[in-house]
Amino acid sequence: MYLSTMRLSTLIRRWRTHPTDIPLAGTASPAVGEAARRNRGSLQLRHVDAGSCNGCELEIASIFSPVFDAERFGIRLEASPRHVDGLLVTGPVTRNMADPLRKTLDAVPRPRVVVAVGDCARNCGVFAGAYGVEGSVADVVPVDVEISGCPPDPATIITALRGLAGT
Amino acid sequence: MSARPRNDHHCAAGSRRHVTSLLLIATALVGLAASAVGALVTQRLRIQLVSVLTIAACSGGLAVAIEVLRSGRSVVVHTHLLLPLVGFSLDLDRFGALFVAVSAGVAICAMVFRLGYHGHGLSSRTASCVLPLFVTTLLLVPAASSVTTFLFLWELMAIASLLLVLADHRHRSEVAVAAVWYAVMTQAGAAALLVGLVLLSTHAGSQSFSAIADHSAHLPAWVRSTVFVLAVIGFGSKAGMVPLHVWLPRAHPEAPGPVSALMSAAMVNLGVYGIVRLGDGLLGGGPTWWWLMVMALGALSALYGSLHSATSTDLKRLLAYSTTDNVGLMLLGVGASGLFASTGHPALALAALAAALLHMVFHAVFKGSLFLSAGSLQQATGIRDLDRLGGLLGRMPVTGTLFMVGALTIAALPPLCGFVSEWLLLQAMLHGLPSLDPSLAIALPLGVGVLALTGGLTALTFVKAVGIGLLGRARSEPVALAGEVPRSMWIGAGIPAALCLVFGVAPLLVIPAVVEAARTVTASRLPNPFVGGWQVGLSGIHGVLAPGLLAAALTVAVTLVAGIRRALQRSALRSTEAWGCGRELQTARMEYTATSFGEPLSRVFEDVLSPSHDLDISHVAESRYYVEAATFHTSLEDAFERHGFRPAAAALAWWGGLARRVPNGSVHRYLAFGLIALVVVLVVLG
Repeated sequence: MYLSTMRLSTLIRRWRTHPTDIPLAGTASPAVGEAARRNRGSLQLRHVDAGSCNGCELEIASIFSPVFDAERFGIRLEASPRHVDGLLVTGPVTRNMADPLRKTLDAVPRPRVVVAVGDCARNCGVFAGAYGVEGSVADVVPVDVEISGCPPDPATIITALRGLAGT
Repeated sequence: MSARPRNDHHCAAGSRRHVTSLLLIATALVGLAASAVGALVTQRLRIQLVSVLTIAACSGGLAVAIEVLRSGRSVVVHTHLLLPLVGFSLDLDRFGALFVAVSAGVAICAMVFRLGYHGHGLSSRTASCVLPLFVTTLLLVPAASSVTTFLFLWELMAIASLLLVLADHRHRSEVAVAAVWYAVMTQAGAAALLVGLVLLSTHAGSQSFSAIADHSAHLPAWVRSTVFVLAVIGFGSKAGMVPLHVWLPRAHPEAPGPVSALMSAAMVNLGVYGIVRLGDGLLGGGPTWWWLMVMALGALSALYGSLHSATSTDLKRLLAYSTTDNVGLMLLGVGASGLFASTGHPALALAALAAALLHMVFHAVFKGSLFLSAGSLQQATGIRDLDRLGGLLGRMPVTGTLFMVGALTIAALPPLCGFVSEWLLLQAMLHGLPSLDPSLAIALPLGVGVLALTGGLTALTFVKAVGIGLLGRARSEPVALAGEVPRSMWIGAGIPAALCLVFGVAPLLVIPAVVEAARTVTASRLPNPFVGGWQVGLSGIHGVLAPGLLAAALTVAVTLVAGIRRALQRSALRSTEAWGCGRELQTARMEYTATSFGEPLSRVFEDVLSPSHDLDISHVAESRYYVEAATFHTSLEDAFERHGFRPAAAALAWWGGLARRVPNGSVHRYLAFGLIALVVVLVVLG
């Protein structure tokens, strides 16, 4: 609805003025600084839905929309974990997804980063303690960057990923 | 029994020839003794005694052959003890000696291998008796110098090999089916040969090969052509030439390991021997269409064989089809040679024939190594199906490496010997291209194309055989438990594998002998047509190859690449599970299989290969949206078998069924037949 109510000229104007809309957050963690140096403007990610309500998926999808267009920062989603610099994990890790998540991470070449997107990924959110939930992402695999919000808005996600991409 | 030299110019040379003649006789006798030992001795001693005696016989044969190849003086033996009235005559010249040397070499390796090989009924009394007999006939057929001797030995060889194919018939029913196919095809071929050779000897007025060769130029053209066509049919069926190959992919896989090596690396060569001996030797060359026919059949065999071997999933069937493919390449060379000769390019003719013979020698080397190591794999796992093998290089490192050497050689990669012979074959055909003769201008480019396509398909085939069979993970229980085979089997398969490398680096160990053999059979007066030193090439063609330098350059390049890779590698290698989208259950059955590897190709060549698929899905009773079980069956039948030989066999069976109704047991009917016959005879005579 966001897009449909917008007129094309507005869209183009917004797109042209975009870079200033998204502030570049400071890269506090040394792992993030290292990743930024390593990735040099190209960050390929594999997305794993570990049990999300799909709210975070909508926001991740929208960062690649023409409005936010994360690809101009060198951030891309890839199909195979063999070709990526890190994982983008959403949702609380359900019991059925714990092993596939570990296997996916095992398939990623090193060095790599794990980004936990959304409150559920950070601390299970409203699903904490549910019978099918194994735990937060950090309980299952080591996490490098956490993005808070339920769901986090696209600008926040892009900010965090830009920190990793070094752009 | 007399062992007489043909012309005694030198006393020393004469006595030496007596020695070689006696050695040839001794070879035959030791071979027969081994056969007798196999029939008489108890099972415990049988394997060792028979193998050692056969190896002794083969060593004798190899020594005679090498002496003949070296000195050029043929060995003549004539005896009346065997074959009353006509006598039994052998005359081993350089051309025959080349084949004897190859057969003897293959047989030595196979018999060493046999020491460790058990099972498949090869230890039975019959098989132990027949195996040395088969080897002996392999050694003697190229020496036969009269029609009766040749046919006698040829038949003996066919029957001995048939009995060996049947060795395991008690345990597997497919063996009997394969043996019936082999028996029918080989006997049909032998019948064609019999008619052809009898026709030839009646018209030439003698049954000795040398007399036939002297007279053949004066024979009527139809006799010469009929004899040649019949010979191509007869020898072609033995060589596994398409469309007479249908027995080969059945019989070679079902035979025990050493026997399939002997058949594939030594026996099929004799088909090529026959075509060359008859076409170039006895008939002294012929019109262009003979050789265009040989080239066409060779090209067909090469393409069809390589296509089928690229899509086969049975390891030994794959190797058998690749034998058809390589026989096709030899025939392509032989045909090109005849074509050059008939259009007045004798130097090119000699080069092409030498290239074809060189390919024959090298094919025996690499196919020997491949079939013997495939025999080891089969003995260790009990499985020939590539879809159930896998991961054997780790479990059987020696055998796996030997197989891999053979595979690299057959894929014609330098610095192994397959590269040299295919290179020379290609050169011989390429250098005929500027010729203005229309038959050459059409046949040679097509031949070059066939050679190129075949080379690609062969590489694909052996990427599949090694990649699916030896690499990856074990796809079935017996393969996972497999262990190395006895050391004698390593040695048996290792000698040819080592020779692949030796002959690849130093092909000049073989090329002079091969060229001399080609000169002998064509009675060529041309100077020795090979470029010596460290370069390989045949005069008449311009390209030269330096295999030693090539090997050195490759070694340097491989070392460099490996060194650079090691230097650039930043972190230690980490091995993880193959990426399967994170699914929980991931088994070796989900690996890429030989069927899937060949699938794109069988789809592209669907019209030729006509693969049949059968998918059967049964649904749960409550809802047809749920599948209860699904079975998938795919098979690749030989098109010539399905559309040619099966209908022919059915028609024959129908005809036989009709004939069986005639003698129905009624005495009245038989009396009526007698009366009718009497009337007919009276009418005819009156």
